[in-house]
Amino acid sequence: MSVEYQPKVIGFLCNWCSYAGADMAGTSRMGYPQNIRIIRVPCSGRVDPLFVVKCFQRGADGVLVSGCHPGDCHYTEGNYHTRRRFALLREFLDYLGIAKERLRVEWISASEGQRFAELVSDFTAELARLGPRSKI
Amino acid sequence: MELIQQIRDKARKLLEEGAVEGVIGYERASDGVTSRPLFAYDPSATERLIFDETCAHNLVKYLLDKKGKKMAVVVKPCDSRAINLLLNERQIERDKVFIIGVGCPGMVETSWNHKSETLQAKCRSCQLFKPLVYDFLAGGEIERQAEEETYSDITEAETESVATRREFWLEQFGRCIRCYACRQVCPGCYCPVCFAERLEPLWVGIRIAPEENELWQTIRTFHLAGRCIGCNECERVCPVGIPLSLLNRKLEKDVKELFAFQAGLDPEEQPPFATFKKEEKLEFGE
Repeated sequence: MSVEYQPKVIGFLCNWCSYAGADMAGTSRMGYPQNIRIIRVPCSGRVDPLFVVKCFQRGADGVLVSGCHPGDCHYTEGNYHTRRRFALLREFLDYLGIAKERLRVEWISASEGQRFAELVSDFTAELARLGPRSKI
Repeated sequence: MELIQQIRDKARKLLEEGAVEGVIGYERASDGVTSRPLFAYDPSATERLIFDETCAHNLVKYLLDKKGKKMAVVVKPCDSRAINLLLNERQIERDKVFIIGVGCPGMVETSWNHKSETLQAKCRSCQLFKPLVYDFLAGGEIERQAEEETYSDITEAETESVATRREFWLEQFGRCIRCYACRQVCPGCYCPVCFAERLEPLWVGIRIAPEENELWQTIRTFHLAGRCIGCNECERVCPVGIPLSLLNRKLEKDVKELFAFQAGLDPEEQPPFATFKKEEKLEFGE
């Protein structure tokens, strides 16, 4: 029996908004794919591009970086820096042959549990469609 | 030649007056054709100074080793951007450096005992003929024609499929021997402990594998995003000939497009990752 391909997704969620949003999805008993492995970070600005590249190197099929909406950062401006950094990194990884669809940067607030669940479902489905990353 | 004599005279004068501790310049290499860096600490050594189309080295890198010492350095127009970068990042002090600027005719491709007639790719599209910053300009200004920087090789690669690009870079990174020459020669790479040498966590593993090389090159280039000044020394010193300028110039192009910034032009301008605009529209985010 063949086993259906299950993409591996790593999610970096900021402690103040997105992690709480994921928690909201859980406490509201919304189902979402178990493919995502969540790593809690103090702020999306904490996510070094090195973390993301390392994830891909070690076999992740997709990476989600999520933080508070611009303007709502707990540390006032962390997510503005995230935005600049990852706008560039996505382009660069795509150029190196890691499709930009595999790296998502999204803003999710603590009340958007529904949105988080939908996002993870959508992202997982898209990665399943893209198929496994050609192994480097 | 007048230009070389001016450099020698200036260097000798600076050393004799005690205005600087040493002069960093170029001398003829032992093959009699190419050149190599010269550190002159004695006035008599200044007679060995030269300058011609083989002097490709970016000598600004050496200023990082001479912090706190007053040094004079021979600087080409492209290298002067490295001076601006290091001033911007507070790595060197302006009053500790005496800059002997030279107009640049463009550098040619060289190998041991041989110099070709063709200009290096970076020089063909270089728009700088005069250093952006200097204390003394040897040889006066130079007039020459340059092509426009079009990034045509980059845009061409961008139209390829992701899979094709993956294959291309896998082959390139597969050859990397991680000698770190690209880092050692780069004026922008001066962290006391490089992430590649950290053991806890071990970001770049010790095994010989394209994956590890890819991680190293990806992050090395990304650390230079908005900081690379395009001297292309990394590509020149690469012993296995990886086209690193394709990586550096891709980021240079994107930084120009996204943040309208070019490194090393103004020592006071905020680099793109040190600042942000609240209202800017990037690819994601509302």
